[in-house]
Amino acid sequence: MTVGKDVSSLFTDVVNCMQTENLELKKLVYLYLINYAKSQPDLAILAVNTFVKDSQDPNPLIRALAVRTMGCIRVDKITEYLCDPLQRCLKDDDPYVRKTAAICVAKLYDINAELVEDRGFLDALKDLISDNNPMVVANAVAALAEIQENSSRPIFEITNHTLTKLLTALNECTEWGQVFILDALSKYKAADAREAENIVERVTPRLQHANCAVVLSAVKMILLQMELITSTDVVRNLCKKMAPPLVTLLSAEPEIQYVALRNINLIVQKRPTILAHEIKVFFCKYNDPIYVKMEKLEIMIKLASDRNIDQVLLEFKEYATEVDVDFVRKAVRAIGRCAIKLERAAERCISVLLELIKIKVNYVVQEAIIVIKDIFRRYPNTYESIIATLCESLDTLDEPEAKASMIWIIGEYAERIDNADELLESFLETFPEEPPQVQLQLLTATVKLFLKKPTEGPQQMIQVVLNNATVETDNPDLRDRAYIYWRLLSTDPEAAKDVVLAEKPVISDDSNQLDPSLLDELLANIATLSSVYHKPPDAFVTRVKTVQRTEEEDYPDGEGGNSESPAHVPGDAGASSNVPPSAVRPPAAAPAPVADLLDLMGMDGNNSAIVATDIPASPAGPPLPVLLAASAGQGLQISGQLIRRDGQIFYSMLFENSTQVPLDGFMIQFNKNSFGLTTGAPLQVPLLQPGTSASTLLPMVLSQNLSPGPPSTLLQIAVKNNQQPVWYFSDKIPLIVFFTEDGRMERSTFLETWKSLPDSNEISKDFPAVVLNSVETTLDRLATSNMFFIAKRKHSNQDVLYLSAKIPRGIPFLIELTTAVGTPGLKCAIKTPSPEMAPLFFEAVEGLFKS
Amino acid sequence: MISQFFVLSQRGDNIVFRDYRSDVQKGSAEIFFRKVKFWKEDGKEEAPPVFNLDGVNYFHVKVVGLLFVATTRINLSPSLALELLQRIARVIKDYLGVLNEESLRKNFVLVYELLDEVIDFGYVQTTSTEVLKSYIFNEPIVVDAARLPPLGPASLFMQGTKRMPGTAVTKSVVANEPGGRKREEIFVDIIEKISVTFSSSGYVLTSEIDGTIQMKSYLTGNPEIKLALNDDLYVGRGGVPNYGGYSGSSGSGAVILDDCNFHESVHMDNFEVDKTLSLVPPDGEFPVMNYRITQEFKPPFTVNTLIEEAGSLKAEVILKIRAEFPSNITANTVLVEMPLPACTTRVNFDLERGVVGQNADFKESQKRLEWSVKKMVGGSEHTLRAKLNFSQELHGNITKEAGPVSMTFTIPMYNPSRLEVKYLQIAKKSKTSNPYRWVRYVTQANSYVARM
Repeated sequence: MTVGKDVSSLFTDVVNCMQTENLELKKLVYLYLINYAKSQPDLAILAVNTFVKDSQDPNPLIRALAVRTMGCIRVDKITEYLCDPLQRCLKDDDPYVRKTAAICVAKLYDINAELVEDRGFLDALKDLISDNNPMVVANAVAALAEIQENSSRPIFEITNHTLTKLLTALNECTEWGQVFILDALSKYKAADAREAENIVERVTPRLQHANCAVVLSAVKMILLQMELITSTDVVRNLCKKMAPPLVTLLSAEPEIQYVALRNINLIVQKRPTILAHEIKVFFCKYNDPIYVKMEKLEIMIKLASDRNIDQVLLEFKEYATEVDVDFVRKAVRAIGRCAIKLERAAERCISVLLELIKIKVNYVVQEAIIVIKDIFRRYPNTYESIIATLCESLDTLDEPEAKASMIWIIGEYAERIDNADELLESFLETFPEEPPQVQLQLLTATVKLFLKKPTEGPQQMIQVVLNNATVETDNPDLRDRAYIYWRLLSTDPEAAKDVVLAEKPVISDDSNQLDPSLLDELLANIATLSSVYHKPPDAFVTRVKTVQRTEEEDYPDGEGGNSESPAHVPGDAGASSNVPPSAVRPPAAAPAPVADLLDLMGMDGNNSAIVATDIPASPAGPPLPVLLAASAGQGLQISGQLIRRDGQIFYSMLFENSTQVPLDGFMIQFNKNSFGLTTGAPLQVPLLQPGTSASTLLPMVLSQNLSPGPPSTLLQIAVKNNQQPVWYFSDKIPLIVFFTEDGRMERSTFLETWKSLPDSNEISKDFPAVVLNSVETTLDRLATSNMFFIAKRKHSNQDVLYLSAKIPRGIPFLIELTTAVGTPGLKCAIKTPSPEMAPLFFEAVEGLFKS
Repeated sequence: MISQFFVLSQRGDNIVFRDYRSDVQKGSAEIFFRKVKFWKEDGKEEAPPVFNLDGVNYFHVKVVGLLFVATTRINLSPSLALELLQRIARVIKDYLGVLNEESLRKNFVLVYELLDEVIDFGYVQTTSTEVLKSYIFNEPIVVDAARLPPLGPASLFMQGTKRMPGTAVTKSVVANEPGGRKREEIFVDIIEKISVTFSSSGYVLTSEIDGTIQMKSYLTGNPEIKLALNDDLYVGRGGVPNYGGYSGSSGSGAVILDDCNFHESVHMDNFEVDKTLSLVPPDGEFPVMNYRITQEFKPPFTVNTLIEEAGSLKAEVILKIRAEFPSNITANTVLVEMPLPACTTRVNFDLERGVVGQNADFKESQKRLEWSVKKMVGGSEHTLRAKLNFSQELHGNITKEAGPVSMTFTIPMYNPSRLEVKYLQIAKKSKTSNPYRWVRYVTQANSYVARM
C-alpha cells in the first residue's frame, strides 16, 4: 500500500478486522481505510458502525482515533455519520480527544463547509480557544485560521479579549502550538503604541527558544508591532534584543540558515541598524553549501559601510579565487556593487578588481569588466585611467554581457582611447554573428565614435554598421535603433550629438533593492514562504478549489451535459479573459483558422508575441490529429501535434474525458528519439471532470539524449494519470518544426556552401501531384515555416526557386524547387551536410504543399 | 499546512510516504527527486532547501544520506517545515536506535504510527518522544548498528574512544535491553563546533564556537535533574563586569556567551544566580541548551603553509600543523585539505619518517591535496612536503590558485570555550540505585581555514 501497490481488492477482508481489540492492528486497518475508502465508497459504509462505536469507546485514544480517521475519509456517506461523534468529542473530558476533534472540524470544513456552519461547529471551535489545555487551544487556533483562510466571511477575528487569552496560552504551549498562535496573532492590529508595546513584551521571551520556527514567528510579531511603536528608545532596544537570536539562527542546520538569511535580507533592508555590527557572522565558511554562500554575499553587500569595507573587501577578494565559478562571479560583482554603494571606498574596490583582472582567469576578467562599466556610470570621469588595463584583455572576452560592456566603455570614452577605432573595428568583423545585446552596443559605440572623431575611418565603419543593422538583420530592435541613428545623422548631426552624447543620469546600486511597497508586504510575511521567495503570497499560492469553481461557472445551466457544446473548453480560468466564452459559442463558422494564418503572414513573424498569447484561448483552429482514440484509451481521447511558435517548439495537445470519473495527475514522457525531443516543462492538465476536455501547449526542448540509428520521425509517447493505466502511443515528428528563425542565408554564403558540399550530398525527389499556382504565395507560405527565399531564375517554361532552411545544431538545408506554375509536378533538390535527413525533409515538404 | 511527508533514499526510492491532505499529486516524490537531482537554476547547482514547482512548495533536509521532504500548497512557515523534518528524523531515531534505509523499512508500521501522531491533517501535534510514548504501541525491530553511519553530533563518541560505551548512543529509548531490565543512565554531551579563519600571515581573522549541551536520558521515573555550569558564565557581550579589563586569550577569566537558547523543558529560575539549569528530561535525545561564542579562544591547531616555486613547472608545498592543546589530549581523524592549481598534473609526497597512521593523496579529479593524520597528541607537530608538477607556467600566481588550507578534526574531552558541567544532580528517592552519568566533551571543526 505504502510503496504504490494496489491492494484495494482486500477491502472487505480488512474491514472485517476493524473490530479488533488490538490497537496496533486497529491503527493499521484505519490507515488502510484512509487510503482505499475513496475507491470503494459503497463498501466503506461497512466501516461506519465500528467508527461510531469506537468514538464512544472508554479509551480516549480509540475515541480520538475514530474521529481522526473519519475526518480523513472523504466519502459522503462517512461524513454524514461524522457529525454526531464530532460534536461529542469536541466536548470530551480528555484533552487528547478534544485537540483531535478541533483539527477534525477543519477537515470537515474542507469536505463540506456548509455542514460545519449548519451544525454549529464553528462556535464549538471558538469555545475551545478558552480551553484549559494549551494543546487544544493551539489546534483550535490552527483550525480557525485555516477556515478563515478559505472563507470570505469573517469567522475568526482576533479581539482584544482573544488576544489576552492567546498570549497567556503562548507561555504554556508546546513549541509548535506557539508557532500556530504567533502566526494567528500576527494578523492582529494593535490599537495604539501602548498595546503594541505590551504585546511585544509578552512575545520577546520567545526569541530565546531553541526552535527556529518559534524564533522567526516571534521576530515577525515584533517587527509588525514595532511599526506602531513611537518611542525610539523602545525601538532601539528591541532591535538590540532581536539581533543575537537572528544571528544564532545561522548556527542551525544549513537548510534553516538559508531560510534565516533570506529573511534577514528583508529585515536589514527595512532596519539596517539591527545587524550593522554583525557583518562578520555573514562571512562565508568554506563548507557552507552554495545556496548559503550566495545569500551571505548578498547580505554582506547590504551591510557594507565605510567602517567595515576593508574587511569586507578582503573577504570578497578571497572568495574571488575560490573554485566554484558561480560563487566567484558573484563575489566579483559584489566588489563592484560596493564600489557603487560607497563612494569613499570606490577607489579601493577598483584596485581590488584590477588585482583580480591581473590573475587572468577568464571568467573573473569578464565579470570584472561588467561591473567596471557600472562603476564608470556611477562615477563619470574619475577612473578612466584604468581603461588601458582593461583593453589588454579585449581578445579573451567571449560572453555577450562582458563584450557589450567593454564596447560600451570604448564608445563612451572614444576620445581618450587612441586606438578606439581599431578596437571597435576588430569587433565589427563578426557583427552578423554577434548576439543582439552586443550588436546594439556596437551600433551605439560606433555612432559615438563617429560623432567624437568624424574622420575617414569611423565614417567607413559607420556605413558598414548601419548597413548591417538595417538591411542585413532580422532583429527589429536593432533595425529601429539603426534607422533612428541614420536619420539623426543625415538630418542634423548636432542634434545627434545632443541625443547620443547626452549626459547620462548617475546610477545607484539598487540592483537588488526591493520596491518599498513590496518590501513592506514581504516583511508582513516574514517567516513564511513568501519571505524566502521574495514574492508576495498570491504570486505562488494556487488555490486549487477556486479554479475548479470558476470552471463550473463557465457553463451556464444545461450546457455541461450537452454533447453539442464546443469540444474545446478553455483549459484555465485565465484563458477565458482573452476570449470571452460567449464569443466562442456558437462556433464562429469556418473563417477563423484562415484569418489566423493570414495574421501570421501579415505580421511577418515580427510580432509573433501577440499571436502567441492568443493561442491557449483559440480553440477554433483545425482539429488536432487524434493520437489515442477514446476507444483505445478507455474513454480518454488524446489529440496532439507538434507546432512551432515564437521560436519554440510546443506540443499542442487536447485531452477529452468521456469516462465516468474525473481524471487528474496527468504526466507525460517521451521515449528517446532521433532529435532528442523532450518536455521542457511538466504537463499542465487540470482536473478533468467527466465529459470535459482541456487543451494545453507543452513546451518542448532538445536534449542531448538521442536515439541511435538512422533518423526517424517516430515519436513514442507515454501518458499517465492517477485513475488509469499508462497509455502508450506514437506520433510523427514533422521536420518543419525544427526549422529555425535564423535559417536565412546570404546569397554568397548559399553559393559557397552549395559548392563546398560534394555532389553526393545532393538528393532530389519528384512530387508529381503538387501544383503551385503562384510563386509569391508559395514563398510566403514557406517563409512562415522558416524556409527563406534566396533567388529565382527562369529555365525554359519552368521557375527555379532557391531557398534555405536550418535545423538545430546548425545543420543547413539548401533547397532548389523546380516547377511550372499551374501545371502538376514539382522537383525538389536539396543539398545538406546531413543527407540522411533528406527523406524526412521530403516528407515535411510534401506535407506542407498538401495542406 | 503540510500536505505530504516522504523519505527518499539516495537513489530516489520511496521509503516512507504519507499524504495528509491529498491536495498535491501522488507523483510529487518523483517530480521532486528529478528536480533536485538535475538542479540548475540561478547559477547554482545545488537545490535550495525550499523551492516552488508548479504551485507545490517542496521543503527538504538531508539526514544521514536520506532526503526528508514535505510539500505544501500554502504560504507556510518554512522554518517550521524544515525544523519539523529534522525533528521527525530525531524522533524516528529515538525509537529505532539507528536511522537508515534498512531500519526504516523494517519498522515501517511503527514509522507510520509515529507519523500519524506527529502530524494530523498537516498540523504538527508533537515531536516529543516522551509525549509520543503514550500513544505508540508498536515495538521497534532493532537493526545491527555496527556498520551503519551514525546520526547527529553525539555519534562522535563512537569513534574509537574506549571510555565511552559505544552501543548506548544507538540504543532505542523505548526498546528494552536483551537482559530485560533497562540500564539506568544519562548522557550529557558538550559538543562544540568551532570555526576559525586564519589570515595569510597566521592571525585569527574570525573565530566562533557553536556549542550544544545535548542530553539523552535512559532514566526511569523521570526524576528532576540539576545541571550546574561555570560560575563565571555570562550571556551577552554587554553583561560582563569589568569587560574592558578582560584579556581573552590568557586562558582564565569569564566564559561569555553571545547568545543562548534553551529547550522548553528547562527552568532557568536560578540561572542568573548560580548558573544552574533544572529540568525533567523527556525521553530521547534533545539539546538542553545551544550557545554561541565569538569571544577569543586559543585555536587547537596552527597551520603553516609554505609554497616555493622550483622552476617554471614545479613547486614545493610544505604544510606544517601543530596541536596547541595539552599532551594528555589526543585529536582524532585529522584531515588537512588544500586545493591545488588546475594545471597540477602530478604530486610527490614526502611524509615524516617513522610516523604511522598518516596518509597523503592527490585527488586528481578535484585537483586537491588530502593529508590525513589518524591521531595527534597535544603539543606534537607534523609536516608534509609535497612536490607539485604543472602542465603550464603559472607566472607567480600559485598562491592565488592554490589554497586555502582547510582542516577537519575531532578532539574528545576538550572544549575551547571552557564551559563545563560542574555537577549533574539527579533527584531520586530510592537510595539503592545510582544511575550512570556520562558527561562528555568534544570539539569538532566546522570551518577551520588558513588562507594563503
